Amino acid sequence: MQTQSSRWLGHGLYLVIMAILVSGVYFAGQKINYSWHWERLWPYIINTESQDIVAITDGTAVVDKAGRLSVLPDYGDDPQLVKVYDTLVARDGDLIFQGDTIARIEGWRFGPIAEGLWVTIKISFISLIFAVLLGVMFGLMRVAHGQVWRNLAMTYVEVIRGTPLLVQIFIVYFFVGTVFDLDRFTSGVAALSIFTGAYVAEIVRAGIQSVSAGQMEAARSLGMNYVQAMAYVIMPQAIKRTLPPLAGQFINLIKDSSLVSVISITDLTKAGREVVSGSFAPFEVWFTVAVLYLVVTGGLSLLIQCLEKRLSVSD
Amino acid sequence: MIDPVKEQSSQPALIQAHKVNKVFPNGCHALKDVSLDVQPGEVVVIIGPSGSGKSTFLRTLNQLESITSGRILLDQVDLTDKRTNINKVREEVGMVFQAFNLFPHKTALGNVMLAPMKVLKQTKPEARKTATDLLNRVGLADRMGNYPTRLSGGQQQRVAIARSLAMKPKVLLFDEPTSALDPEMVGEVLDVMKELAREGMTMVVVTHEMGFAREVADRVVFMEEGELVLEESPERFFHSDHPRLQRFLGQVL
Ligand SMILES: Nc1ncnc2c1ncn2[C@@H]1O[C@H](COP(=O)(O)OP(=O)(O)OP(=O)(O)O)[C@@H](O)[C@H]1O
Ligand SMILES: [Mg+2]
Repeated sequence: MQTQSSRWLGHGLYLVIMAILVSGVYFAGQKINYSWHWERLWPYIINTESQDIVAITDGTAVVDKAGRLSVLPDYGDDPQLVKVYDTLVARDGDLIFQGDTIARIEGWRFGPIAEGLWVTIKISFISLIFAVLLGVMFGLMRVAHGQVWRNLAMTYVEVIRGTPLLVQIFIVYFFVGTVFDLDRFTSGVAALSIFTGAYVAEIVRAGIQSVSAGQMEAARSLGMNYVQAMAYVIMPQAIKRTLPPLAGQFINLIKDSSLVSVISITDLTKAGREVVSGSFAPFEVWFTVAVLYLVVTGGLSLLIQCLEKRLSVSD
Repeated sequence: MIDPVKEQSSQPALIQAHKVNKVFPNGCHALKDVSLDVQPGEVVVIIGPSGSGKSTFLRTLNQLESITSGRILLDQVDLTDKRTNINKVREEVGMVFQAFNLFPHKTALGNVMLAPMKVLKQTKPEARKTATDLLNRVGLADRMGNYPTRLSGGQQQRVAIARSLAMKPKVLLFDEPTSALDPEMVGEVLDVMKELAREGMTMVVVTHEMGFAREVADRVVFMEEGELVLEESPERFFHSDHPRLQRFLGQVL
């Protein structure tokens, strides 16, 4: 039994060790003469700078009484109309050349890192749904009575688990994607779902087999058919037991999604790579990217823990 | 005038097992030409040493175990016939297990309500009404909301009996229903079973409770090494001088 004081001592020691680690990183940065510029990162997350609206042709600026700005081109094309802007740069009657700033828009928009984060969340979420569908389907096939089903499911699981995800992404993108004319995003989702589905299938199979045979016998003795027994008796118990390993697999899925950047999907990782070359702040960028992944995986972890707690009322 | 005895015997048996053989895939010959008829309302107790095939025989009666040869008729329906809908048959044959096998994710009430709702398509209020009545009958009116982990062994087994009864079966099969119980809980389960017997439920019971056999059984069956050795009324059974039975009773009593 742990005493109260030894617990506090443990917490204190932990804080000391963490402080040493963090300062270690800081001094390592100092040692290689790295100057930290966290502020450079902001525009790449949320961009608050005003945006320039530029002229697309040479011509004359016209501002009518209602304040609408347009550029009348010199050579009889349709005029360029600017419907929304915050500050006017060109004045009525000004001569405008192509590329001139004629107005500005204030406000903010998401930078590439935030957009990458959104792509990562989106691709992980959609893949998760399909992975669960595939996993449950093939998991059920693994324990089915028909040998055909068992063999098919086994082949799927073994092939997918035996090859690297990176290779699968290339195969899905270049082969399957070409045959079925899939875009990058769909290919990425397909590869991630198929990959994670194989692991989910194994988890589901283990969960079903962990439910004692007596449960199936009791259900069948009451006149339920196989499907009813599975749906109302076996699966509810199996799912509860598979939640912890499933949580781990879903977290892996989020992290694995970084590999889709190889087929030019601008997810969080690819956005990070692009921002590094534009901002000259590689440490800050990669630390930020890591923290963002941690937030997403941590959030999912928390969600599943809540679900587990709700399902544990019968324990 | 109709002779009541004759009337009874002309009524076909509810269970007719004829020369049932069971050979497991591993070659174990668990049942050898076992034949047994059970009349409606009868209580048949099966006793015998461990490994004699009692469970296997009981499980063939609701086809949890298929048979290798022979015939089993349940209320005239041939279980071995491929066209027989085995799920329909199982609705009419309840089974109570040694390990209770309650559904751990359902409350006592939920356990009893599940099959009537899903199989008999009863509405929720209907199923709840039946389940409440049944749990009352087995003395668990105050435990309906409990999950199985919050019930004692004896209480769990009584819920299991109520769960089987909810399907309104024609026959109830019991496989050592009190063997997994602490001694002080055996009585409460046996009392429920005695009550059922009194109400005319047809029952086939595998048990080591000789007192129950003596008191409740209409017939006692002795099995050994896959064979049905002896089949007698309790009075004659327990005074039989059959050598194999003597040897067995000498060991357990
Ligand atoms: N699934 C199985 N596969 C192979 N052999 C089996 C199987 N189930 C039972 N047996 C064998 O069949 C024989 C009869 O077993 P059964 O369980 O019917 O005995 P029992 O009389 O119920 O014994 P107990 O009193 O221990 O429950 C035993 O020899 C057992 O080893
Ligand atoms: Mg047995």
